[in-house]
Amino acid sequence: MFFEEQLKNGVFQICYCRNCNNAIWPPKEICHICNNKVDWKKSINFGKILEFSKKESKYFGLIEIDDGIRILGDIISTCTPKVGQLVRMEVSFNSKPHYSFFIVENN
Amino acid sequence: MNKVAIVGTGQTKFSKEDDDVEKLLFESANNCLQSINNCDLNDINGVLISTNNDSKYLGAILSETMGIRPKISHSIEHLCSSGTNAIISAYAYISSGLSDMILVSGAESATNPGQVLEWDKSRGTLEHPIYWGSMLTKSHKRNFQTTEEELAIVSAKNHKQAMDNPFAYSNEPRTISEVMNSKQITDDLRILDCSRSCSGSSSILLASEEKAKTLSDQPIWITGIGQKTTSASFTKNVLGEIESTRIAADSAYKMAKIEPKNINVAEVHDAFSVCELMAISELGITSNEKSGEFVRNLFNTENKMINPRGGLIGAGHPLGATGISQTIEITNQLQGKSDKRQISNANTGLIHNMSAAGTSSSIMVLQN
Repeated sequence: MFFEEQLKNGVFQICYCRNCNNAIWPPKEICHICNNKVDWKKSINFGKILEFSKKESKYFGLIEIDDGIRILGDIISTCTPKVGQLVRMEVSFNSKPHYSFFIVENN
Repeated sequence: MNKVAIVGTGQTKFSKEDDDVEKLLFESANNCLQSINNCDLNDINGVLISTNNDSKYLGAILSETMGIRPKISHSIEHLCSSGTNAIISAYAYISSGLSDMILVSGAESATNPGQVLEWDKSRGTLEHPIYWGSMLTKSHKRNFQTTEEELAIVSAKNHKQAMDNPFAYSNEPRTISEVMNSKQITDDLRILDCSRSCSGSSSILLASEEKAKTLSDQPIWITGIGQKTTSASFTKNVLGEIESTRIAADSAYKMAKIEPKNINVAEVHDAFSVCELMAISELGITSNEKSGEFVRNLFNTENKMINPRGGLIGAGHPLGATGISQTIEITNQLQGKSDKRQISNANTGLIHNMSAAGTSSSIMVLQN
């Protein structure tokens, strides 16, 4: 699938309906609202922390990127994250999608 | 619509031993039919199976092994709420007149990987339920000032209540201190805050009003049903809420013509400790802010009205069997047959069963 192929290249693609511009997540190629095809657009790769916790020494959390798209992923930080904090996203794919978020300094 | 009653029940002991799902289904189905004095196998015209197991054609297999030749037989899968979804499907067959007696059997084996929803790309590699469990717990603590001790009381209470349930996975008492000092899975979850996958099976026989009167002198009636699926992706949940439970509860209360204050006993889906606090709030039994205090009071007064059989945390969570075992507990309570777990004067009971972080909920109201 295109979404996963793009993750392998480190790119997070979001599909938007050509007609109603609805962002569709998880991705699919037909809009469920108006039944039109979608266009893919690269994420801005920035989001904010909605909630977080820690497993062993690694933080993880629920992050919202772009137009309300929510993702569970690793938060790469040595300091305790904060709700609402700005994060930058990096992605990869190795049999499953992998999402990492880095805290943007001074926010 | 025709009235529908529960007329027979049967279970296996929940355990960590791996076992064939076919064998487990047979054992609980056999126990169920043995619980009824004069059941003619020729009268059972439906056999529904609830499981997340990959085995095929289980409706026909259980029918053959039980010596039943039903009109209707098939499986139903809906992750952790497969059991109540199978019972509600049987209800629909009977109330519509397509069938008048249905055996519903649910089972899971301990090694079944059914708790991971691979479709949900929004979870990435964090697909195990402990990740959403941690998010819900952290959010509850943040929004409602819920304490670690209040969360631990849910687990201590349910472990204590499970001691009187002969079918429970755990018969070990756990103190609040033991729960709080149990192995840390994440910063917000300890091992004793989590329900455990296990092997187990449970079966229930449903009948039309006419049949029920010939089979049981204590039929228990399904008087309210509510179901809601809001999504499949946990990440679409509003943290701090289980919207599907709130909507399903409203439907079930309207159908049964009751209010939350009328509930004498409830089995709620405590997949993690926080889920019990959230469930009793969304069901209208208390509020999120007071849920910790509510459960503390139950524990201190030995009031078993919430999860008398020990819930998922105490009894174990064999996915396909859980909703059926919850329903059996409420049935036994309304029949006055719950021995040490019995709630006095129980006339109205509720079952709350949900899937995938509460993206889907099924609720039933039972009355005697």
